[in-house]
Amino acid sequence: MLPSIAALTCALLLGQEGGETMPPAPAPPLQAEADQTAPAPLPQTGGEPTTAAPRPQKSAAPVLPTQKWEGIHYCVDLPPTEQIPSGHYAAECDSAKHECRVAPLNELDASGTETDRPLERSQGCVVSQSLLDTLGEYRLLPATASAPPGWYRDEQGRVMQFNFDLHRRIWLGGAWAPRWVEGGAGKDNRVRADFGMDFEWPQGPSRLHRLTLFDTAVYLGDDSALDATMLRYEFRTEEHEPLVRVTTFLGEPARHDIFLNLGVWTEAMHLEKVRRDGARADFLALSTVHASLDLWHSRDLVSYVRVRAGPSVERDLTGRQLTLVPGAALEGDLTLDRDGFHHLRVEAEVEKVLLSKTVAGRVARPERLRLHAGYEAILLAINDQPVSLVLDGRGTWRDDLAHVPARWEWSAQAGLRFSLWAPVRRSAPLAGNGKG
Amino acid sequence: MLALGLTTLLLTATLGAGPSCTGRTASGEVFATCFEPDFGPVVGTGLRLGPGPAAIEVLAGLLLSTGEESRSKGTPWYNRHRLLLTETWKGEHTGYTFTAYDGLLRRHLEDGFILVPTARPLRIPFPFDVAVALKGGHLERRAWEGPGWVLETAQVGLLVDPLRANSPRRWLAVGPAASHVLRHTPNGTEHEVSPFTSLRLDLGWRSEDGWWTVNASGLAGWSYDFEQGTHFRARAEGSVERVVLALNDQPVAVRLAGTVIQGDAGLARRNEWTASAGIVLRPFAAR
Repeated sequence: MLPSIAALTCALLLGQEGGETMPPAPAPPLQAEADQTAPAPLPQTGGEPTTAAPRPQKSAAPVLPTQKWEGIHYCVDLPPTEQIPSGHYAAECDSAKHECRVAPLNELDASGTETDRPLERSQGCVVSQSLLDTLGEYRLLPATASAPPGWYRDEQGRVMQFNFDLHRRIWLGGAWAPRWVEGGAGKDNRVRADFGMDFEWPQGPSRLHRLTLFDTAVYLGDDSALDATMLRYEFRTEEHEPLVRVTTFLGEPARHDIFLNLGVWTEAMHLEKVRRDGARADFLALSTVHASLDLWHSRDLVSYVRVRAGPSVERDLTGRQLTLVPGAALEGDLTLDRDGFHHLRVEAEVEKVLLSKTVAGRVARPERLRLHAGYEAILLAINDQPVSLVLDGRGTWRDDLAHVPARWEWSAQAGLRFSLWAPVRRSAPLAGNGKG
Repeated sequence: MLALGLTTLLLTATLGAGPSCTGRTASGEVFATCFEPDFGPVVGTGLRLGPGPAAIEVLAGLLLSTGEESRSKGTPWYNRHRLLLTETWKGEHTGYTFTAYDGLLRRHLEDGFILVPTARPLRIPFPFDVAVALKGGHLERRAWEGPGWVLETAQVGLLVDPLRANSPRRWLAVGPAASHVLRHTPNGTEHEVSPFTSLRLDLGWRSEDGWWTVNASGLAGWSYDFEQGTHFRARAEGSVERVVLALNDQPVAVRLAGTVIQGDAGLARRNEWTASAGIVLRPFAAR
């Protein structure tokens, strides 16, 4: 970073000392107005360059101020220097303070020398002759160019995404996923490979759609298994009219609104291949439709806690029969931080198999109970594609397997997930100095 | 003035350094000399050699190549799509393959990196482009093997490209791949998955004028059958094409291709090799 600052400062020094386009400069502005985090402001014509250059502080590296993304950036040509041979800069000027934050239009390399790569994700600059005519009246401060919301630009001008929407991605992952069956001999050694695509889009401020395609988890090892859903679609709403208004008259009268934020949750072609204690069962849920009620959701509808319930038409591929499976779930999906790095998902789901023919070794109306708690955190990003740590705890109780006693099975899973796409969140902030 | 003239001359020469894509006859008629081998329909025929007698081979498909800027990341994607690819061969070992979609999507960065999300993000150099290989609906039917078929429903590869070419004409992508295959016989249908336990390689090179086209791909690794356990399989395919003439500006190329398969050919997971030579026509490929 220090070479970058030094390069910028040298260029600005030269620009202010010897630039042909620089008219005589007025008196220097007050030091108190300078950004406390920025390198020292440069003296105008007539000052001693050697004493004016910012001195690198060994104890704490100074942080360059950042231009504002919303601001107007003017094209400014300063005399070429060894570090910035093109002399092309973008300046963001404050006419009240009479100062301009100036950043090169090209990226710098590690030594602070300009490269031939223009800044990525930059708004560019506009030419203003009136500014060029009066530029000498301004104090020029080295700065870092701005970056769009959700992106961070370092001192070399390179942009990096620091805000990720994991509800819009294509993910591929793998995890260590041992399983313990209640009363079993020990743990089953298994690994999980997963894959899927998530899409999410708002419809106005009060409705959010979410679509998941090919959500697949393959468990390999002892008792290999498969859980795959071809399509899952849901939408949730934010109602503005309360369903019930409750007014209390204990003390001061107060009104309490109760909203009914309903939604729809559907699945198509959910295949589950179950293996336990040598028994095998395959279930294909052809279609599931649940009504959902949000108990809580965030303002942008992305995080929620809700209940949902509804029927499913299921094909028992092992028993070769069609069944009706009503189910209900309490679940939460929480994005814990502004930049989308931490996600918590919890779910408790119960199902009951109805209209089933008699199957030897199995109860007439089997039930399933599934528990799931998962945490996902982004560890790093490769070329702006996030790699996340996934921790999962799962428990299942079921008595729909013929000749297998109903028991709990538990699984603790830990792995990594690579996400493609993952654009910035719709609520992504602008980066300031440092990240965000 | 002299310097200005020289500079202008040099600049003009530099700008015109790319291949000229138009030829001109003595009578002034123009004709195309550059082609885009990854865009438009393709049809071809040739002679196929392998186990057993030689067979006549016919192939057809639709190719699309796009280079576009990612809306979410603002960096170029070089994408190559192959649609409805059909290859059939007639002889003692009659059969066909059909691929609904086969694509390679590569995101190019001038300066690849790994972001470590510390308070002030740390940027570590990562000298690779990231690419995704997608394949869906690959059906293989061999009449001589009896009733049954093999359907690769989906294959996904997560690849890195050390070449990092800022061009759609060169790539070398390698990385793990996952796939799901159905093998259907009168005895039932087997599911077979390879959960990123295979390595996929994809290589391509096209000359600037589109006269030469080289493709190579490979897949090797383990797949798991839910009923029968683990299998190792490998396959490598390659082809070279050279445009030799153009009919009404539509290029006709000579094509040499070969395939080597271990433990993955047909219903019986045979070992196999094939070699073929023929011609391909790529209408609408003139640039």
